[in-house]
Amino acid sequence: MVILNNQTQGRNWTTRLDAKKEQLEKVKGMVDGVIIPTEKIVDVLEKLIRPKDRVIMEGNNQKQASFLSKALVQVDPGKVYDLHMIMSSVSRPEHLDIFEEGIAKKIDMSYAGPQSLRIAQMIEDGRLELGDLHTYVELYGRLFIDLIPNVALVAADKADRAGNLYTGPNTEETPTFVEATAFSDGIVIAQVNEIVDELPRIDIPSSWVDFVVQADEPYELEPLFTRDPRHITDIQILQAMMCIRGIYEKHGVQSLNHGIGFNTAAIELLLPTYGEQLGLKGKICRNWVLNPHPTLIPAIETGWVESVHCFGGELGMEKYVEARRDIFFTGRDGSLRSNRTLAQLAGQYAVDLFIGSTLQMDALGNSSTVTKGRVAGYGGAPNMGHDPGGRRHSTEAWYNMMTSKDELARGKKLVVQVAETFQAANQPVFVERLDAVDVKKQAGLAVAPVMIYGEDVTHVVTEEGIAYLYMSDSPSERRQMIAAVAGVTPIGMKHDAKATALLRERGLVALPEDLGIRRAEAKRSLLAAKNIDELVQWSGGLYEPPAKFRSW
Amino acid sequence: MKTAFLFPGQGMQYPGFLEDLPDMAVVHGTLKEAEQILETTIDSLHSPYALSTTKAVQQSLLIAGVAMSRLLEQEGAKPDYVAGHSVGAFGAAVAAKSCTFEQALKLVTLRGQMMEQSLDLQYGMGVVVGLTEDKLIDIVAEFHTEEQPVYVSNQNSPTQITLSGNKKAIQRVLEYVERKGARSAKLLNVSTPSHCPLFEHVKDVLEQEMDDMLFQRPKIPIAANRNARLLRQAEAIKADLAESICHPVKWHDATNVLYENGVRIFIEMLPGDVLTKLANTAFPDVRAVSTQKVAVEDVLYILNHKGV
Repeated sequence: MVILNNQTQGRNWTTRLDAKKEQLEKVKGMVDGVIIPTEKIVDVLEKLIRPKDRVIMEGNNQKQASFLSKALVQVDPGKVYDLHMIMSSVSRPEHLDIFEEGIAKKIDMSYAGPQSLRIAQMIEDGRLELGDLHTYVELYGRLFIDLIPNVALVAADKADRAGNLYTGPNTEETPTFVEATAFSDGIVIAQVNEIVDELPRIDIPSSWVDFVVQADEPYELEPLFTRDPRHITDIQILQAMMCIRGIYEKHGVQSLNHGIGFNTAAIELLLPTYGEQLGLKGKICRNWVLNPHPTLIPAIETGWVESVHCFGGELGMEKYVEARRDIFFTGRDGSLRSNRTLAQLAGQYAVDLFIGSTLQMDALGNSSTVTKGRVAGYGGAPNMGHDPGGRRHSTEAWYNMMTSKDELARGKKLVVQVAETFQAANQPVFVERLDAVDVKKQAGLAVAPVMIYGEDVTHVVTEEGIAYLYMSDSPSERRQMIAAVAGVTPIGMKHDAKATALLRERGLVALPEDLGIRRAEAKRSLLAAKNIDELVQWSGGLYEPPAKFRSW
Repeated sequence: MKTAFLFPGQGMQYPGFLEDLPDMAVVHGTLKEAEQILETTIDSLHSPYALSTTKAVQQSLLIAGVAMSRLLEQEGAKPDYVAGHSVGAFGAAVAAKSCTFEQALKLVTLRGQMMEQSLDLQYGMGVVVGLTEDKLIDIVAEFHTEEQPVYVSNQNSPTQITLSGNKKAIQRVLEYVERKGARSAKLLNVSTPSHCPLFEHVKDVLEQEMDDMLFQRPKIPIAANRNARLLRQAEAIKADLAESICHPVKWHDATNVLYENGVRIFIEMLPGDVLTKLANTAFPDVRAVSTQKVAVEDVLYILNHKGV
């Protein structure tokens, strides 16, 4: 027998759906089926968005729903106010203008690099309430837990008249945002570059989408992952050689993530040359999670790469990707399918190695990229740059990190931090105390914005050498190892030559000569491509670089 | 793509520089207006002798900035924002239509006079290139005493910072930082320790003077000297104009806020191109030009062709 709870009797269990129906009713006369006329977007947003709603504004370090963000800042703050914004990235001026206008009040976000000074000022002035700074995966996860959205404003390439969406190479996090909203009776509005009769493929089905609106101009897209090899320095090449020899080869790294740094671009461009000389093809760097980096083209062309899964697309790489569909994830139509959420998860759990560069590192290996007076957030680096304790599958490299003989001993994700000991303006990278500690105080954050925690770092690479941190649990020994490669920074000055010699003997620290690398060999002539033009040549003309990268 | 007009502070003036303003009616009108308000002649403002006095320097910088911005505006160049470094902020306030040219002239005259009255050859300013503000603040704290005070003042760029205070103390800091990795550290040829607490009394007088002045809401936002915020209210602009003299000018942050707001073209009023160089160094993808170096037609071309 079921005992009915009196309290549930008479309770309405469909308040969200009822509210949605009510909102949709308000715009009935203004829309044409699922299509919002371009010029009516501001009026429609005023009717569909209620004060205090949680609103996803799609924008990350690549694709921006720029038409919708420009429309949102034009709504009447008397009608739409105190919104709680959820954004991967605060990148465009109007993303913060909506707070200055009083349209929005609170924000949960991952990254604000391009607006890091303004957002710091607005937090200080009480104009913007920071919910939290998230990593990508945490932000996406919370959409399904306690940050369930009321409205999603997203960007797609094309829609058909039923509201099916084609997001193509730049699918990124759109499906995640739409899923969290559509299945919690929220309202999904997609801006599209064009409305067509037939889509190349359907990335998001129309039953998840409430409205589409044709934008007055295509969404903004940043070619963020294009690194011109001309800017790669000899020091970066030396570091890349050390990584290949002293980490990738030593541990048998098969699967990995590379970010946007010139350090990692150098590694990509050394595989077909230096890597080939070492006879490493097929032994390392086979399966990748990374965007379609133009600098990976030579390695792909020479048969190093078996697979690449992407967070997003990269401007100019569309045709090349289509022509290499054995390597990339592509749809029936031929174009790339990216997915930031799944790529982040893959980068977190499924790969052997994460490698990234840092601007500051303390004596224990905690690192951060923040600057005082700025609030920049994280993006996805902390997701991939840590050892996920829940991992169970074993690979050679992961297993290789095991240092204990305990019965229950397990391996470790490789988390590599690359840094030159000094940045521009004589700023030491290795410091006693991270600026992140000051930023925490200035911005009233709950925790200091550390990008990668020292306890997760397995290797530190500088132009001086490699510190194999995973080999020691002792804080004092780890300090010594970092000091040994920290050059003449305040931290580095503390190392003593005898201790370093001992660390080298025990294999805890390796200098280039210990790895059989002669510093004089680290020259730009080793790069498989020395400029964008050579990348185009490697691609057989399939790579079409954006104008700002063309030099001819 | 947005545009900001920048108004320089002291440093790049040279004898006769107002004669290098374009030969246009609106410029002549502005010079004449200044002569009437100040009851003096332009020649007596930018003569080699006059330019050795703070008052005349500040007056003529304001005149140049206002004349140039009026000319640009007349030719159809409309900025989205303005910012002025130190005394340049008064020209910015006029360009934003927050105060009148006459009000600004009165204020800079008073400001210049007050600064001159406190003239003391033992005081001055220095500039350090190659160290960050944070680092300098720590260093300066070691050298600062009540008898020989020294302060970190303007943040021109992340690594170009000025010092203000007692010359001997400044000299000691400069010698110290030269050994600590500064690329350059030198004394500036001024006898006014601007933008530090030593000029608090100048602020007080300016505040009193502005109490009776009616300022307007600016037509376009002004990036503030003191806290690098965008100012949209008359009272906030008054406060910034007064307080700037005894607080560091956060110039890098002010232009950075403009950049984050979408500014990609910076046009600097003459004289000189100090702010142009700072902007070009700080933001690789902006187009910054100085009206000292680039003719008005070319400035207009740049604005009409979005920076090309």
